This record gives sequence, structure tokens and C-alpha cells, in this order.
Amino acid sequence: MSNFDNRVKEELHVQTEKHTQKMKDEIWNELEQELFTNKRYKGESNKLKKRKRGKAIVWLIASAAILIMFSLQTKTGQALKSEIKDLFVPEKEVIQNIEGNDEKTEVQLNEGSNSEYVIYVDEERYKLTKGEESDIISSIIPPPKNFPEVTMEIKQVVNEKPEDLILKIEAELKKEFPELQAIEEVTEPVTGYLLHGAAGLEPESNIVHTYVISNGKEGSFVIMQKYFLLAAEGHGARFYRMLETFEIIE
Amino acid sequence: MFQNKWIKQIQAGDQEAFRQFYEAYSEYAIRTASAITRNREMAKDAVQETFIRVYRNIAKYNPTLPFNSWFYRILTNECLRLLKKNSIYSKFEHPNLENEPSIEDTFIPQTSDLYEEIQALDDAHRIPLILKYLKGFSEKEIAEILELNQNTVKSRLFQGRKRLKHQLDSTEKEDETL
Repeated sequence: MSNFDNRVKEELHVQTEKHTQKMKDEIWNELEQELFTNKRYKGESNKLKKRKRGKAIVWLIASAAILIMFSLQTKTGQALKSEIKDLFVPEKEVIQNIEGNDEKTEVQLNEGSNSEYVIYVDEERYKLTKGEESDIISSIIPPPKNFPEVTMEIKQVVNEKPEDLILKIEAELKKEFPELQAIEEVTEPVTGYLLHGAAGLEPESNIVHTYVISNGKEGSFVIMQKYFLLAAEGHGARFYRMLETFEIIE
Repeated sequence: MFQNKWIKQIQAGDQEAFRQFYEAYSEYAIRTASAITRNREMAKDAVQETFIRVYRNIAKYNPTLPFNSWFYRILTNECLRLLKKNSIYSKFEHPNLENEPSIEDTFIPQTSDLYEEIQALDDAHRIPLILKYLKGFSEKEIAEILELNQNTVKSRLFQGRKRLKHQLDSTEKEDETL
């Protein structure tokens, strides 16, 4: 290490020394309070309830699938899709963790173009606009001046499989996001491929978060989220929760 | 590896293991957060939130990413979030904040020229330098923490050091002429 490197190292150590021990104790006290008091057990029981609720949802979906299989023998097309959609409650309350706090949110069932999918949308904050080529869920509250728009675009590509399409999208996104992360296989909030990129470290820097998933046939759904760095734990988290409710209607 | 042992024990709800983990990780977490946020309260909040997230999300930890990188990624993101939240609030919600005492005044009372020059760099160069010189992270680890390409980190460290040297030389020359 050069003299200059040693000076920088020493300076950072000296300047961050002060108050460290006091802060360490203060933080631990807060952590104990937050994690290991009665509140913790309440939290755990909530988790248990959530898991049970999760199991109930799995059963509901399984039951719905069986019902669909029976229905397929008698009904086809749009009418059937409409019936499937009716299996979902029109509105429900979800608890989502936003910026470290649990938040109760009312979400409403929305149907995609041509009834291809359903998704629960927090309509207090977002609206779903159906388009010819894609649907866009956008923030109702405009972003601060000079900040990019916040959107989640859902598009079906009927003739391209996710494993092929993701490569094309990767090549396209790299033009705008040179530091795009490698393609990742994910199982949450949807099962498919993920591409994530940030165009900088500034609050207003563009973020892209794109999932490519199978449409259950020979094609794909592309779900492209766009927001800004500062909104990663706000809009980013809300989009994640919304996407957990995404269901393809085959 | 102690980390693997702690991870398993914390996952099993072992409070003592979490305490040991806190003892081992908190000092440099506080130093790093203090250097990044330049504010005692923000640093405290960032470190606290990081440990809460680690405790609650340890089951989601993917061992393909080194634990230190995972931990410091959470910490750095949390610092940036608080820093930017604060800057947005000051820009959009508290336009008169500049007339109030600076929050930075509540932190480190005396700083050196070198530290001031480090802190005067933009975040893209400042944060990789802090990670390198404070905790001794390698370029690869910094790339993992900041979710950047390793070459980008290399270039930012190079540019950051260059700017720092230049600034420091100029300041020292000015001092000599006085």
C-alpha cells in the first residue's frame, strides 16, 4: 500500500471512530426491543397466520384448477375466462412491508387485455391502462420533477419462449443500462427469468426490473417495471407484491 | 466458518448467536454507515434496519453470494435510501432547511482536509473508496455489494483516487503559499 493509500485508510478509521461504542450499545438496545420482546412473538404469530393463509390460497387455487378442468369439457373461450375470473374475490386486503413497515393495503382485482390474466392492483396508488400491445400499471401520483415515470408494463408475446425472449430483451436493455446484471432464474414473485439494471447511483437514476415468464403455452409474458433508485423500496416493493397476485388465465 | 454456524443458528431463532453476530459485525457496519451518511442518526437507523432485515430475512440468504457482500449490500442500500430520502425531503418538502442548522453539524465535529475531500466526491466514487479503505473490501467484493461490474468499480476507484490526490495536492499547495 502506498503512503497515500495508508493516509486514506487511517483517516477513514480515525474519523469514524468517535461514538462507535456508544452507538453500538444504543443500536443493540433498539434491536432487542424490536426483535426479542413480546412484539417479536406477535410478529411470529402473524407470520404463522400468513403461512396458513398461504396454504389456504394454495388450496383455493388447486380447487379452482380442478373446477376449471371440469368446466373445460363444456365451455370454451371468453365465457370460460370470465368464469375463471369470477373465482377471484374482487377486492382484498394485503399486508405489505414497505420501507421496513408493515402496511395494510386494499387491492382490487384487475383483468388484463382479452382476459389473459388477472392481477390485484392497489388502486389508491396505481391504475391499469389497457393497450393494444400491452397493459401498463402506472403510478397515480406523478414522480418529483426530473424523475422518471413509474410503470409496470405487462405484455404477452405469443410466439416466443421465455428462454429465447429474455436474450433479446437483455441485448436491448444493455443499450440503456450498460451495467445490466446477468440473467437470473427466479421463483418469486413469479417463476421465470429476471433482468435488473440501474443507470446510476443518483436518486433519480432509472431502474429497470424485467421478468419474462411462460404464458403456459409456446409464448411468454414480459413484465417490465421501471422506476427510479429512490423508489426501489417504495414502488419497487409495491410492484413486487402486486406481481405476487399475477395469475395467467389459460 | 463462523458465519455458516451463525447463519444456521440465527435461522433456528438462537438469540445468543444473533448477539455474537452483532458483536462481530456492528463496529464496521457503524463506521461504514457513518462514513456514507455523514450523519450519526442516519447511520444509526441504517445499521439498525440492516440488522433487523438480516434477522428477518436470513432464510432468504443465498450462499452463492458471499455473506459479507450480502450484508454490506443491505447496509449500503439502506444508507443510500436514507440519504436520498433525506435529500428529497430537503428538496421537496423542506425548502427552508438550508436556513436551519445543518444535520451534518450534529455529527463529527472536527474533520481533516483529507476526510473532507473524500466526502466531497460524488457518491459513485466516494462509496467504493469508503468500502475499500474502511473495511478493506476487494474490487470483486465492492462490485458484488454495489451490484456493479468489476471493471466499473476498478475505474471508479482509480478515478476517485486520482481526484482525491489532485484535490489534496491543490489544497496543500494553497496552504504553502499562505
